[in-house]
Amino acid sequence: MTTGVLMYCFDTPDTQYHKLAERCVAQIRKYLKLEITIVTNIETYKKFKPIGMINYKLVEQETTNIRPYRGKKVAWYNKERALAYEHSPYDTTILIDCDYFVFSATLLELSNTKFDMLLHDRVNDLTGQNMIEGKDESTLPLVWATVTLFRKSENTKAIFQMIKHVQEHYPHYRNLYRIRYANYRNDYAFAIALHQLNMGHRIPTPMSMLADSVDVIDSDADGIIFKHHNSVNFTSGLDVHVMDKEWCNG
Amino acid sequence: MDIGNIKKHSDLNFELAQAKNNALEKMRSRQLMAYNERLFKADADTINLISTLKQHSQDFYVLDVNDNPCHIKDPDDFLRKLIERNQETLNGYQQLHQDLATKGR
Repeated sequence: MTTGVLMYCFDTPDTQYHKLAERCVAQIRKYLKLEITIVTNIETYKKFKPIGMINYKLVEQETTNIRPYRGKKVAWYNKERALAYEHSPYDTTILIDCDYFVFSATLLELSNTKFDMLLHDRVNDLTGQNMIEGKDESTLPLVWATVTLFRKSENTKAIFQMIKHVQEHYPHYRNLYRIRYANYRNDYAFAIALHQLNMGHRIPTPMSMLADSVDVIDSDADGIIFKHHNSVNFTSGLDVHVMDKEWCNG
Repeated sequence: MDIGNIKKHSDLNFELAQAKNNALEKMRSRQLMAYNERLFKADADTINLISTLKQHSQDFYVLDVNDNPCHIKDPDDFLRKLIERNQETLNGYQQLHQDLATKGR
């Protein structure tokens, strides 16, 4: 039985995702010590500095999307994630966004349990402002696709087939579940697929997050220091999803 | 009344409360523990449950965090691991709590 980490990383005109991925890889090496596969395109691949043994899977991302970021609309290549079942070479896969930074071995602990698919259904806004989870944004029990653990099985195969189906018919499902957010989001596609198939387990602790209005001002291998308005705080030993996309640019 | 000073005090207390909250989240996250391919929280509830059940039998079933049954064949081993993890995480929290208390003085 093999266990590894799978990441999707495509640079956009606005964001150098490969820099986030490089930092993400360093954290995974320190805390999880697992094999890593990065799905990327040739343009992004060329920008990666040498970061040791990584399995690169080069694809041409066929689909594009946009999302709001700090008051503007930016390009977002997020639709390839529906192919994670095919792209993953592992029996047990920890699929993470390249802006999710591991500062503990919690994901290893989770990967040692029995499940088809395991995701967060709650978030913890580290600033205490509760500005991430909106209210009445859909009629759907939401999950966060940022961290998705899955084990290859017939059940999981069905989930990913359903995700692809949802992606193809997203306007219909968006209407069905009264989703306010207009653009395709993996969180919703995964949540819809799990709801339709009545599958998936939840990670019992919330995912710690910093919204895109929060600046990361410093970090080390153990945690990060962040600033929101005039308040500075820190995390240590806690895995974090950071939505500030510029903090790794130096 | 020195409103500027009160505001400063309030801001500091907010930051301390938030740091405490984040430390608690870290502790809860670290308390997640895999055992026999099931997922448990190494918290007081689980420790009490296993401790109580083990007084009646050395072989029993409990539900994990996702309500899946887990066969406990060696409750002493399970209880020892739960307590170890619980105390390890509480020690970490205690240290941070102490740092915060010093900062708040």
